[in-house]
Amino acid sequence: MNVVEITIVNQGSEIARVAALLDQLGTERHLVPEMVADMHIALDEVLTNITKYAYTDNAEHKIHIRFRVLDNVLEAVIEDDGAPFDPLVVPAPDVSAPLRERQVGGVGIHFVRCLVDEVTYKHVGGRNRLVLKKRCRT
Amino acid sequence: MDLREEKIGEVSVVAVAGRIDSTTAPALGEQLTLSLQAPKVRVVLDLSRLEYISSAGFRILLIAAKRADEAGSRLVLCGVVGKVRQLFDLGGFLDLFTIVGAREDGIAAAQ
Repeated sequence: MNVVEITIVNQGSEIARVAALLDQLGTERHLVPEMVADMHIALDEVLTNITKYAYTDNAEHKIHIRFRVLDNVLEAVIEDDGAPFDPLVVPAPDVSAPLRERQVGGVGIHFVRCLVDEVTYKHVGGRNRLVLKKRCRT
Repeated sequence: MDLREEKIGEVSVVAVAGRIDSTTAPALGEQLTLSLQAPKVRVVLDLSRLEYISSAGFRILLIAAKRADEAGSRLVLCGVVGKVRQLFDLGGFLDLFTIVGAREDGIAAAQ
């Protein structure tokens, strides 16, 4: 099983289904749990952002996630039809600000960029397409 | 995620095992709200069995720290090691919390 896919709707409660699928893939493909954990965090950040901010209507939207393992690399492709959003252009947060002034907002995207090895974004045919690549075997 | 709270003298120790992500963070938030409900309480959050924490979890921890601060309470974190420590460091969170090594240190620091 090289490719697994899942489609969820734009609700935060759906994210757990994606995490469960990633767990299953990690076990079946003998991926290194600590490395898979980084992908878990990145996905949690990306999918939280999409379910919270990508849609301004109240309609149900579909988010599609495809995992692929190629050699030592785990790839996740996330596609949604929400507002165009390129996480790569978001400035890094000020991680030195004191407690009372800190916003956790930018940290999620910061985690995505730091924890996976490669992030690419494209807006194609009215859809956001984010590709995350993480080396998950030594 | 698995949450356990125990009382050691005047100190509440909340141990978190597993993962804190967008799915599980609300339950941690409810637990910390309960633990920090009364003013001037002492709470130790033991993260030694935590696998990872996403920004949803850090949001909850920051809220708890602010609440403790405002209520004259004490919130001490312990067992911040490995991957979890890396995430605290990456997000610039290490300086925002009182962090000690082992649970015993946490209990001592909270008193």
